[in-house]
Amino acid sequence: MMLKLDLGWPAKKARRVPTDDIAMSCRVRLARNLAGERFPDWATERERERVFARVCEALRAEASDLRVGQVSGFEEQDRDVLFESHLISKDLLERAAGGGVAYAPDGSVCVMINEEDHLRIQGFSAGLDMDAAWRAADALDTRLERHLDYAWTPRLGYLTACPSNVGTGLRASSMVHLLGLRLLGESEPVLRGLERMRLLVRGIGGEGSEAAGQIYQISNMDTLGVDEASIVQRMSRISAEVVRQEHNARERLIRESPLVLVDCLARSLSVLQNARLLATYEALEFLSAMRLGASLGLCTRLKVRDVDKLILLMQPGHLQKGMGTAMTSDERDEMRAEFLSRRVADVKLKC
Amino acid sequence: MKCELCHKAEAETAIRKEVAGEMQELYVCQACAKKEALQKEEPVAPPPPASSAQGAGTDGMTVLPLMGMILDAAFEIVGRAKNLAEPSCPVCGILRNEYRKRSRLGCPACYEAFAKELDAAILDMHRASRHVGKVPEKAKAALHRQQLADKLDEAVKAQRYEEAIALREQLRKLDGPEAGKKGGPS
Repeated sequence: MMLKLDLGWPAKKARRVPTDDIAMSCRVRLARNLAGERFPDWATERERERVFARVCEALRAEASDLRVGQVSGFEEQDRDVLFESHLISKDLLERAAGGGVAYAPDGSVCVMINEEDHLRIQGFSAGLDMDAAWRAADALDTRLERHLDYAWTPRLGYLTACPSNVGTGLRASSMVHLLGLRLLGESEPVLRGLERMRLLVRGIGGEGSEAAGQIYQISNMDTLGVDEASIVQRMSRISAEVVRQEHNARERLIRESPLVLVDCLARSLSVLQNARLLATYEALEFLSAMRLGASLGLCTRLKVRDVDKLILLMQPGHLQKGMGTAMTSDERDEMRAEFLSRRVADVKLKC
Repeated sequence: MKCELCHKAEAETAIRKEVAGEMQELYVCQACAKKEALQKEEPVAPPPPASSAQGAGTDGMTVLPLMGMILDAAFEIVGRAKNLAEPSCPVCGILRNEYRKRSRLGCPACYEAFAKELDAAILDMHRASRHVGKVPEKAKAALHRQQLADKLDEAVKAQRYEEAIALREQLRKLDGPEAGKKGGPS
């Protein structure tokens, strides 16, 4: 069957993309360590347990609404769910003793205990509201500090396990979806430009991960010699500029290369509806396209929020948790394909 | 730790030695270190290119490069022996080489212990050398007290006694009535 292509169609049917569709979320994390204690990588199990107990005591006194636990005490699937929800890192997943997590049930703040540093206090926010994320992390930090003696010097500020975090210990990051730039072949110059501005650009899973689905995490590199508010402001400003460029790319994509866009959406939807086996990274690539389509209003019965939920639910931990059973990798791929095909069965492209 | 060459005496220093075609760092006893240093002197260095005139000897060998090699080896041994004895953190005990391998410091005190090289690395990383951000509440009081104490020292040295009395009074208030009673004349 011939594809009836009206080159003007996407422009007529596409809606204006809200900022939050491109800037998925943002995070501010503060690295803190206790004075007189070895950093977690060099500490003995007993020392890490001691630090965990001290942090728990401070949390009980100041943030009793947070759920606290040792990572090793969680079921494997629950650990994966925390990792996939970006609350804890891979390093913490692998920490044998003393590695812990405290998180707000609404996901607004989270503390990783004995990861690379004794505490990694994180504030989260939707879209580009980095200031809200900073305020959440800062408030919790100030409260915990009443009960904990942080390693801090007037000259170097907060002392961290890796000197790359010394000073404020603050890393502000935004997670952005840049498929429009990618389809126009313009993502590389933008990402290289960010790196030239001394920013870190990583894939969706953070450090060392690939940029699957063209979802990137952009964060500051410098933590010393600049105060927290300035870092947060700069990162907000730069992230907003990246969002503007992606916005612009999507508009040009619709206007100048509609066939590229339609092809990407049609292929992705077709695979999601018909595949029998889907690995996580593959599924993410196709869901990324659906996210773009939903954001432009070019898919029926599909919103960006729905796709974001699918991106989370199709990952190994969430998938197994949802099914209530442990599965092998092959079983998961089969289950993922079936799950996604059911969820997008009624979705159609508006063309 | 035992010497990695003789496996008998305690290791006291570190040397670099070619093992199976690869340069490796070995921790060795003084006797083995001396042996290795002597062995380094024995092989005759390859003749320099004919164009090299600097320090050319009558036998076709350059004197200065050979001397340089020996000195380098000596400095390497001395330097590394010093490293083993000295640049370890007095609090957590990690050695410079250890934190370099893992790119993670051992404890907060490592920043002092390895200050000389860390300060340069930190400047490279951040293009800055001083913190300008948040100050923990607990540190604020100590910082303020330190600043007052410094000012008091300055005022006393400069014989600005009225200012000194006022500063001392402020310090007393900061330290609380108990501290004043203990330190002051009764």
